[in-house]
Amino acid sequence: MNVNKPFWRRVLPFALLLALPATASAHTAISGVGDFLGGVLHPVTTPLHLLLLLGLGLLAGQHAPLNLKIPLATFIPVSALALVFTMTGMVKTVYPPVLIGLTLVVGLLVALEKPLPAVVTGTLFGLAALALGLDSTVENGRVISIARTLLGTWLGLTLALIDIAYYLSFFTRQKWQQVGIRVAGSWITAASFMILAFALRR
Amino acid sequence: MNSQLYIQNRNTLFWCALGLLVLALFPSSASAHQETGTVWGFRSGFIHPLTGLDHIAAMVAVGLWGAFLGAPAMWVLPVVFPLVMAFGGALGVLGVPLPGVETGIALSSLVLGIAVAFGTRPPLWVAALIVGTFAIFHGHAHGAEMPKAANATTYAIGFVIATGLLHLSGIGFGLLVRWPWGQKLVRLGGGAIALIGLGFLFHFIPA
Repeated sequence: MNVNKPFWRRVLPFALLLALPATASAHTAISGVGDFLGGVLHPVTTPLHLLLLLGLGLLAGQHAPLNLKIPLATFIPVSALALVFTMTGMVKTVYPPVLIGLTLVVGLLVALEKPLPAVVTGTLFGLAALALGLDSTVENGRVISIARTLLGTWLGLTLALIDIAYYLSFFTRQKWQQVGIRVAGSWITAASFMILAFALRR
Repeated sequence: MNSQLYIQNRNTLFWCALGLLVLALFPSSASAHQETGTVWGFRSGFIHPLTGLDHIAAMVAVGLWGAFLGAPAMWVLPVVFPLVMAFGGALGVLGVPLPGVETGIALSSLVLGIAVAFGTRPPLWVAALIVGTFAIFHGHAHGAEMPKAANATTYAIGFVIATGLLHLSGIGFGLLVRWPWGQKLVRLGGGAIALIGLGFLFHFIPA
């Protein structure tokens, strides 16, 4: 990667990607974008998935220097396995409080900013990958179409996690930037807590 | 060169603080806790904290007080507030009754406004305890309205972001304490917030 490239030029593609899902809705096919691209966009157009991914990205990228070995070593294979498992039709969706609870824990860990043992980090990213993967079921369509969508989803999940962690790592040098990340973590926790209460009430 | 940069930074800081103050004052003509029927999605969640002067005053006061106390209170208070507020919000969502919610919200503006106006500097844990206690009332009021939301996830996200931005507005305004005249202005702001709280407490201002 060209490190001399102006910062805005590195951020712009990601910003445009974030701007895309504004008109999309959760868990629905995005018309006109095709199976694969629909799958890629699925994680960033599902609010709860996006919230969890944001939390995971913040958790992975908040400590300098950026080290994604353990998070990616568990996240990539587990999410792939979970997505493949959805093709069996045995799991339709993940019990929402599980996904929300994971988001809450991840947000809290970001807010606390304590370095985590490798085992905890690996387990957390593995569980999150499992939940995100199993919650991305494609209900209808031909096998090839479902496979394309799931492949896109897997790529979308992985890219979103890497993107968030990578770009965040530029904002960990100053004290106020570290504080900003912790505040974002507290916001994720607060939102998750309220969503969890709502899910449990229903 | 350094002094030029210093002056430039101070000017930038001034305009940022002023801009945030204007933003914070913008929605002040709206009313609080009006039942608007079905609440939906991110927009509803984002707008809700901005549609009540009692909420706005308290949120801005948290940021103001944090900025007045300086680091680490400046960021501890805005972190504590949403976390505890979410607990209150959960109580509201689950239908757990909490007595004196409106009184608690009015008191929050009064107490926090007085704290800013008089430049009160308690230990951090005391400030966090005060802010956290009031946060429960604010969270409960918001949470009680949340079940009507069409999309609870986006409602909660919008709501938390708006609350956080109000804190940032308060912090932005509070950064004026670096200047002697700014200190007076911030204290005056605290006084105004305390008066608003008093107005809500004795129903001079309709909730």
